[in-house]
Amino acid sequence: MKFNAKSRLQILLLLLPGLVVFGIFTVYPIIRLFWMSFFKWDFGSFLDQEFIGFENYRTVLSDENFRIAFTNTIVYTLITVPAQMALGLLVAMLINSISHVKIGFRVAYYLPVITSWVIASLVFKYVFNTEGLLNYFLTNVIHVTSQNVRWLDSRWGGMTVAMLLGIWKGIGWNMVVFLAALQTVPLELYESASLDGAGSMQKFLNITLPGIRGTILFALVMLTIGGFNVYTSTKLITGGKPGHDTEVVLTWMYYKAFSNGKFGYSAALSFIIAIVLAILAVLQFRLMQNKDEG
Amino acid sequence: MIKRKGSQLVIYLILIAGLIIVIMPMIYMVSTSIKPNGALYEYPPKFFPKLKEITFENYAYILGQKKFLNNFANSILVSVLTVGLSAIVSSALAFVIARFRFPGRSLLFGFIILTMIIPGTTMIVPQYELAVRLKTINSIWGLIPFYVAWVIPYSTFMIKGFVENIPKELDEATYMDGGSILVVFFNVAIPLAKPGIASVSIFNFLTAWEEFPWANTVINDDMKRTLPIAISGFFGQHQFTQWGYVFALSVLSLIPILVVFVSCQRFFVQGLTAGSVKG
Amino acid sequence: MKERKKVLAILLASATCLAAMTGCGQASPAESASGSENQETATETKTETESNSAETESADEVTINFWHHYSAQSAENETLTTVLIPKFEEENPGIKVNAVSHEWADLHDKLLISAESDTLPDVARLDSAWIPEFQKMGILVPLNQEMSDYNEVAGGLLDSAMSTAEIAGDNYGLALNTNTKILYYNVEALEAAGIEAPKTMTEFADACKALSGTNANGQQVWGYDEPGLSGWNLCPFIWSMGGSLTNEEQTKATGYLNSKETVAAIEMFADLYKAGAITGWNSGDIPMTDGFGTGRYAMLLEGPWKVAELAGAYPDFKYETAPVPAGDGGSVSVLGGEDISMFNSANKDAAWKFMKFMTSEYAQEEMAKCGQIPVNKEALESDTVKAADFAPYIDQLQTAKSRPTVACWSEFDSELAAAVTDVVNGDKSAQEAMDELAAKVDTLLAE
Repeated sequence: MKFNAKSRLQILLLLLPGLVVFGIFTVYPIIRLFWMSFFKWDFGSFLDQEFIGFENYRTVLSDENFRIAFTNTIVYTLITVPAQMALGLLVAMLINSISHVKIGFRVAYYLPVITSWVIASLVFKYVFNTEGLLNYFLTNVIHVTSQNVRWLDSRWGGMTVAMLLGIWKGIGWNMVVFLAALQTVPLELYESASLDGAGSMQKFLNITLPGIRGTILFALVMLTIGGFNVYTSTKLITGGKPGHDTEVVLTWMYYKAFSNGKFGYSAALSFIIAIVLAILAVLQFRLMQNKDEG
Repeated sequence: MIKRKGSQLVIYLILIAGLIIVIMPMIYMVSTSIKPNGALYEYPPKFFPKLKEITFENYAYILGQKKFLNNFANSILVSVLTVGLSAIVSSALAFVIARFRFPGRSLLFGFIILTMIIPGTTMIVPQYELAVRLKTINSIWGLIPFYVAWVIPYSTFMIKGFVENIPKELDEATYMDGGSILVVFFNVAIPLAKPGIASVSIFNFLTAWEEFPWANTVINDDMKRTLPIAISGFFGQHQFTQWGYVFALSVLSLIPILVVFVSCQRFFVQGLTAGSVKG
Repeated sequence: MKERKKVLAILLASATCLAAMTGCGQASPAESASGSENQETATETKTETESNSAETESADEVTINFWHHYSAQSAENETLTTVLIPKFEEENPGIKVNAVSHEWADLHDKLLISAESDTLPDVARLDSAWIPEFQKMGILVPLNQEMSDYNEVAGGLLDSAMSTAEIAGDNYGLALNTNTKILYYNVEALEAAGIEAPKTMTEFADACKALSGTNANGQQVWGYDEPGLSGWNLCPFIWSMGGSLTNEEQTKATGYLNSKETVAAIEMFADLYKAGAITGWNSGDIPMTDGFGTGRYAMLLEGPWKVAELAGAYPDFKYETAPVPAGDGGSVSVLGGEDISMFNSANKDAAWKFMKFMTSEYAQEEMAKCGQIPVNKEALESDTVKAADFAPYIDQLQTAKSRPTVACWSEFDSELAAAVTDVVNGDKSAQEAMDELAAKVDTLLAE
């Protein structure tokens, strides 16, 4: 199609606001981030920085606390992503198979998704307090332990609470996504499988899962990114304590930048995370495409 | 699938059991907010307060403080403007990318995909520096362009999918009638992509409504804080946290998002059925 | 490919609906588009009017920003915002004060960030331990050089407190209040255990063990609560047991931070924690005031503000105070206290007026009612202050020491907390952790 001057002007008019906002507030900071990661950039030297090559990257990668934060993030992602997908799919299939109050269940299960991270984190912190309701329930009501569990006081205790929160908050989103995907699986497939005498497990493995493969991979990519995005929950629930044992990559990046003033360090850290995620996403997208073609 | 009565009942029971676990924390939040503040370290802890103990003193305190009303107004303002601006800007981007070839198109789209992958918080250092240069530190208006920029990639990506599903013949018909590109955009693309614009908008509303790290970094004054910052502001004074106030404010801040969500329930269903009919 | 797009479309649609305010799916396209435009224009107009009115205001009125770390829900904050600031604004027409409360650690970080972005407040109430760091950054105003009536004002304040803001002969703040921590104990708990308030560190350790266990409800109780593991928390133990953080010149930590005495203090802490006799710094622990008021913690080291807090939250609770238990180093508590300082970017006239007001007899007397020990000599002589019974704190202040007055203190402090966390959690021995820490701090001090 050929455009005249007026059309070009109109296209430009439509593009311009987006380009300006996106360019200034997102693209420029990314480029700037890359630039900053090669400089010694601390409190007091905001205006006068020294080029130090890959020094920041070396510092980050050899930093014990970064390794802890990175490991925590990986564990968080590896546990919360499959868990919320499995539970979300389960709830979706259950809701899909009932005939009444479908909408009621869907709305109720979606509530955690629309609860903000700040509020959800504070509620979890309160419930999992050493003196909190959950411990009272465990020790005095159902007597599974005699001592209060110190959920928030250790590395894996604190991470467990953060992960439970992540799963709790993620089920609703997965449910909605899978519920939509289940509508695309043709009912006839189930019917003919029943005629062939297939059990429900076989139907699930041979019809449902392949039928929603695209959605599973889509959710996988989105949730992996989400797993690396975890910030507010660990920040508010444990604040990285004890020591820096429950930091995740973003809380550690923030701490180094805004409490220690190591902006260069944080820029390098951010960039490492971006690269890791980009690689993961490309791998997952590849996987998605291969499966699609095959 | 074959539905038998017995298994249906079991499914309902499982769903209800799961639901109880899922909404338990929220019920506990509400019940704590109507307990007197001193009862929080009572023994034994109670899930529900006794009827005669129920008090609205925490709500009265929150609603009596001008700063919290301000925080509320700030959050509404920022969220609504973020949603409105990003809906227009992203639809325009999505429309142009979906329908026209222009120089730099793939570069632009590549950047959009790239920024969907990178967590927003990783950019906080350069964005902070940018906010310093633009003098938008400690400004409630300064939050908006950053939020809009944050949600553009996802919104554009999603709306683009919808625009691509609109038959090109509809565009052509409008051009035949002498309509310009802008006319096609406003009269064809926007109305037909509305389900898409609508669904990303609710995500955008939630994003702006609950955003914490950025607002916490750039906003200083009590009066300029948004709700998440105000709520977490009760915190940190680790010697003495008034949970009753924390949860009263939390419950209040959940109301607008609930209203949006529940009032759009009809639309939510329409989207679902429309989708399955198309499929 | 095609199928994926379809799925995307469906889940998008299902993912919900349009923004509440633009109306949920009933508006026609033209309406919704123009509606949003109107909204935009409306906003712009509003911004303009707002900024205009702000400009006209600023022409005849000055607003100074005052940042502090009085807790948002505290009696001090109440007094500040409802008594002191209105009074100041009445006395000084044309000056408005915008007071902002930050949590203690947040205030420090916010000030550092604001310094980089040139958005510092005019005046702030600073933990005196931060003064060297901020002075090194060059953001504090040397008051003795810039304020003509400085000597007059400073002369009215306690010399010992004023010395916390003095670096190399210049003064970077006015003392605002002083304090130190003493031992608080639960009278009934000690009576029930048949012990008296511990006078020595050995007695203290024994008391912690004797007072811990379970109460009538079967809940765990602890002998002592310490809400953190930083210098403010640990120094009374380290110093009283004869240890130290650095040498006198504050240039070296090795040989001091890892000395026998310091390590012994840390070990005592770790042993008591492992025995279940003390707690408090964990994320899941009961907050200090609540734990003390409900009998879960039997002892604390706290400052004068605790009196007002306990009276407010647990008015029937019975407690007494005593000096910090003595060890080989004597009974040495940590010197607290805040200074009020002015930043370079401030509106200096208005800021100085406010600083003078906050250190005046009137303001100091009002703050004394909420447990802030005055540093204004006249206020100290007033009846209100005498009635407040600050005597135990003032006695303890005779031997109290200040934390190292070095620019790297904040980093030193957080490294200290991290190292001691490792020790109490059993990841490292006290000696090992302190050796490593001392080496790290040596480099910090050398910078």
